[in-house]
Amino acid sequence: MAIRTEQLLLNVGPQHPSTHGVFRIVVTIDGETIVNATPVMGYLHRGTEKLAEQLTYTQIIPYTDRMDYVSAMTNNYVLCHTVEKLMQLEVPERAEFLRLIVMELQRIASHLVWWGTYLLDIGAMSPFLYAFRDRERIIHLFNELCGARLTYFYMRIGGVKWDAPEGWLDRVRAFVPTMRAQMAQYDALVSGNEIFLARMKGIGTYDAQTAIAYGLSGANLRCTGVPYDVRTHHPYSLYDRFSFRVPIAHSGDCYARYCVRIAEIHESLNILEQALDVVPDGPIMGKVPRVVRPPEGEVTASIESPRGEIGCTIVSKGKDRPYRLKFRRPSFVNLQILPKLLIGESMTNLVTILGAIDIVVGEVDG
Amino acid sequence: MSMFVSAMTTAAVMMGITLGFVTYAIYAERKVLGWMQLRIGPNRVGPWGLLQTVADVLKLLLKEDIVPHKADRTMFLLAPIVAFVPSFTVIAALPFSEHLLLADITIGLLYVLAVSSISTLGIVLGGWASNNKYALLGGMRAAAQMISYEVPLLLSVVPVVMLAGSLRLGDIVQEQAGGFWHWYIVPQFFAFGVFLIASVAELNRTPFDLPEAESELVAGYHVEYSGFRFAFFMLAEYMYVFAMAAMTTVLFLGGWHAPHPALDVVPGVVWFVLKFVGVVFFLFWIRATLPRLRVDQLMGFAWTVLLPIALLDIVVTAIVQSIIR
Amino acid sequence: MKGIAKGLGVTMKHMFAPKVTSAYPDVPIDMPDRFRGVQYFEPDLCIVCNQCVRICPTDCITLTGKPNPDPLKKNKVIDTFNVNFEICILCDLCTEVCPTEAIVMTNNFELAAYSRDELYKDKEWLYANNTHIRSENSTNLSPAAKGGKDNGSER
Ligand code: SF4
Ligand code: SF4
Repeated sequence: MAIRTEQLLLNVGPQHPSTHGVFRIVVTIDGETIVNATPVMGYLHRGTEKLAEQLTYTQIIPYTDRMDYVSAMTNNYVLCHTVEKLMQLEVPERAEFLRLIVMELQRIASHLVWWGTYLLDIGAMSPFLYAFRDRERIIHLFNELCGARLTYFYMRIGGVKWDAPEGWLDRVRAFVPTMRAQMAQYDALVSGNEIFLARMKGIGTYDAQTAIAYGLSGANLRCTGVPYDVRTHHPYSLYDRFSFRVPIAHSGDCYARYCVRIAEIHESLNILEQALDVVPDGPIMGKVPRVVRPPEGEVTASIESPRGEIGCTIVSKGKDRPYRLKFRRPSFVNLQILPKLLIGESMTNLVTILGAIDIVVGEVDG
Repeated sequence: MSMFVSAMTTAAVMMGITLGFVTYAIYAERKVLGWMQLRIGPNRVGPWGLLQTVADVLKLLLKEDIVPHKADRTMFLLAPIVAFVPSFTVIAALPFSEHLLLADITIGLLYVLAVSSISTLGIVLGGWASNNKYALLGGMRAAAQMISYEVPLLLSVVPVVMLAGSLRLGDIVQEQAGGFWHWYIVPQFFAFGVFLIASVAELNRTPFDLPEAESELVAGYHVEYSGFRFAFFMLAEYMYVFAMAAMTTVLFLGGWHAPHPALDVVPGVVWFVLKFVGVVFFLFWIRATLPRLRVDQLMGFAWTVLLPIALLDIVVTAIVQSIIR
Repeated sequence: MKGIAKGLGVTMKHMFAPKVTSAYPDVPIDMPDRFRGVQYFEPDLCIVCNQCVRICPTDCITLTGKPNPDPLKKNKVIDTFNVNFEICILCDLCTEVCPTEAIVMTNNFELAAYSRDELYKDKEWLYANNTHIRSENSTNLSPAAKGGKDNGSER
């Protein structure tokens, strides 16, 4: 007589160490194999888009800080950039340079958070602390620049709030080689580690077609060999002035995503190095009317956030508040592939796959 | 009667020593992990944080003893004891120096390995009785893992027994006298490797900490335990760290013998403790470095890598021995 | 095996590296000057223009004015001024628009409390919060306030 077995319904989350916040996956498991997975989201929904309809454009910016709280600078930028596009505002060169520098620093900081927490998911504890030590350096730079450690609210429509303080650019310049040296350490600690490779290689694989069909972006797309990066395909800010590579990988598994992100840190360092040498002097705020009141119309802009393509659409009726505002939140879009990847995997791989997508629940839920 | 009293006293002393070890092993682990992670570790309770574990244990003792409503009450209460008691009985057979051993059993090695596998039952029981899905998964993983690794663990000590010609732990150590080139780690390096890996797996420590993998199973089999019942599981775990480190020292690192006969002036206990601490430190060190394996990889590793190595080692040892004779 | 050995080397090296933790709260953390902390409010400077209330994205400032007790002056003076730190996001907008720098940022950030009520700070509390005041604040200074007043003096 065969032993009677039963499938088990397991709620992973919303309070679970590896769901990176309040995110929940209802999985049906047979032994340790997942037969069905349903992501449940919305625990962190704050209705940013709806709130924005009652706020002036400047007031919306601090709300974007809180959407993808690991990468507030790029969120600031996408909103400011969209409004500027709608109003056809000129942003002074120095301000644009400062924006670019903070965005690239933010990309590094964000990837470091991902690196640390991902390895924590896989079970290695020290990388998390090493990554946060280095992220702390960036956060300190941001703190000196704009007075906050997480929710920066640094960019304003038409420019930035603060000019770089005395010696700040030099400190960023000094940071670049330090970070490069750290990256070598990280590689020695993790990238060659056999256990780690065994955990990631061939897990959560999909091909380019699937990735495009699901609308993935960022490292989740580039890991399949599609070299799509908004910074090079639809250059915004000053990215067309610098030379940098768009790192890609081909295997489309978790390890490919890991390699892409690590290479992106290196590229961001390259961009920083080039940018720091040519920061011009000048004003940091463009000619912006006291009350920001864009003309009637609809505009969409998108940029490359550390997590993928973040977009913003504004419908303006000529008031000082948007009639409708919509963010394309890359974490949310990238997450859609999760159930497909999970079916047939073991419980352990659930953590590996979810972590490799790199979600920030604040952004998933909006 | 006096026999009984003296036995009780020794047992009590031993208990004190092991509890002291557990207290400071936890402290040392946290310190070492802290240092390796650029932190300073516990430093608030007592000088240099030396009383941190004491405070933690006191806190655990004062906590409410929660038994989940849907749990299988008897089993749930029994499990920590089943896990803990064998871990403590194992200590009795360990020789710390020539004269410092409690029970000189002729089958000491067998006794240690046999008794220590009873604890698995406690863990599985705890995981099942909690009536929690995570705990159940943890318990199942523990059962699978500990049973698979028991096999290479046992097989890896066979060559040692063949060389020493005895199952008595004291004899095994005596055979390794006369300098570090006589230690069994030299001729039996592969057996040592297998033993070390299998013992880490038996201890459920990183990179084999799947039964309690906090990033997947929250806390695995002891997720529903609180207060002193949780402390019992903790205690059992560290007791086994003690036992396994001691076993590694006895079987492969020459027990209480000095690395060179010239150094024999230093008492054997000191050498024993030094080697023992080295092994324990190594456990902490890999915990700070390595990620966790996956279940299937873990099982595959035991059956396809460790087991053949261990078997091959036995065969080679047997052949070499018969040739030498 | 090689990768693992390398990794062990890295952790061992870090064991002897200088530690990066700070001894907070034993040693207070000094925030850079621009840090946006809990506001300092100077009632005498406030002209009850209500700009801070209007700009605040979370509506956490409530204020009321009263006629100047000095019968010769026609302006209003502040009567109550409350900031609800349950919802204040320390975004800097109120200090940015205040034309007289009546409300300015400080570098103090310790707000933890056991009760939500304690987070409701009134004018007296904000006035007493007079340490570590930030040196640059408003970008909207009225011409009258620009002359004479040296805001950095308390630092
Ligand atoms: S800092 Fe921002 S949220 Fe706080 S009171 Fe000022 S305007 Fe309002
Ligand atoms: S903006 Fe300044 S002056 Fe005006 S009401 Fe607020 S605190 Fe008073």
